[in-house]
Amino acid sequence: MFKYCKKLQFPVNIKKKDLRMAKYLVTQYGGSNGELAAALRYLNQRFTMPDDRGKALLTDIGTEELAHVEMISTMIYQLMKDATLDEIQKAGLDTHYAEHAKALYPTDASGVPFTVAYFATTGDPLADISEDMAAEQKARAVYENLIDLTDDPDVIGPLLWLRQREIVHYTRFKELFEYYEKKLKKGNNEFSAADQMEDKMNMNNMPNMNSNWTTEANNWNNDLMESMNYNNNNYLLEKMHADNNEWFM
Amino acid sequence: MNRYNYFNNNWVRNMQTNNFVKPNQSLYSPKEAFEKGNLFADLYSQYKNYKPITLKANTEREKMLLELSQIAFAAHELNLYLDVYPNDSSMIALFNDYRDRANQLEKNYEQKYGPLTVDSENQETNYFAWESGSWPWERDFNV
Repeated sequence: MFKYCKKLQFPVNIKKKDLRMAKYLVTQYGGSNGELAAALRYLNQRFTMPDDRGKALLTDIGTEELAHVEMISTMIYQLMKDATLDEIQKAGLDTHYAEHAKALYPTDASGVPFTVAYFATTGDPLADISEDMAAEQKARAVYENLIDLTDDPDVIGPLLWLRQREIVHYTRFKELFEYYEKKLKKGNNEFSAADQMEDKMNMNNMPNMNSNWTTEANNWNNDLMESMNYNNNNYLLEKMHADNNEWFM
Repeated sequence: MNRYNYFNNNWVRNMQTNNFVKPNQSLYSPKEAFEKGNLFADLYSQYKNYKPITLKANTEREKMLLELSQIAFAAHELNLYLDVYPNDSSMIALFNDYRDRANQLEKNYEQKYGPLTVDSENQETNYFAWESGSWPWERDFNV
């Protein structure tokens, strides 16, 4: 489920109406590289991520994109709010006005309505996350184009901020991609049960268990498994020894 | 206190090699990170000569909201980081610190200016406080 927080993630307070800019900006609402496409892309792809890292990251970034939809929508709303009909016609927004008056509607900068054809799901985590990385880069480029098109600091501020978020998101997706690439190299799109348990128990973070296997560590491990209702010690231990060199170095 | 940290045993914590942790993360302060839109100094990339805007709070309400947004943003940045690096104990500690502070700041703000979430504890008014006041897109309190 989702909870609404009655505030913007980053403040938007545009004092000067600018219909021309509203017309361009709408592409980050309903365009192919926009925030709505981003939110739906990640929140849709997260179901088939192979482990908790991917499920968490796509959920959390997808949720943040919804906050960005709200920011972009707020910017468009504030840029259009005080416009007269005459100004709307002069700015070429009369075609928008005919259908929507001053209401928001997700389209690209040319008025093409939003479509889910802007994103894909393949069920293959590497393919899906590659798309996510590309999406963040394309959105960054679009934000730069939009910044070039205005000189209003009230508009530039939030656009610079949103551009920076694309860079952070891109980095996190890239890190996840590299992690999965290493882990999924055997050609499976799903992690085994042992892989997932290993991940849960932070085992890839532990020192080499073969050489450091002490009674204390053993007790700790058993306590932990008990607390997690996981009783099949032998299964996990076998898995740990088998994968030792790859994951416990 | 409920911490998202499973290594409550220091001996185990010290034994960690943290080999899936990025070393030497240099972090901005929550205030600077919020203005930049990026907590991680090594990820920050400036566009042309544009500098981030400086956010100034003019009223007590703006000040409290800005501070909440700053700390909540820092916690959110660490949240995304920890999604990928769930074993980084120093970042978990920092996340917990920012999370605690953000929750406290949210509570303080709500006590004075009304609920930010509908399930907020600060709803004990004789009117339905959730729908009163303006909504984020029409705020003049947006700093």
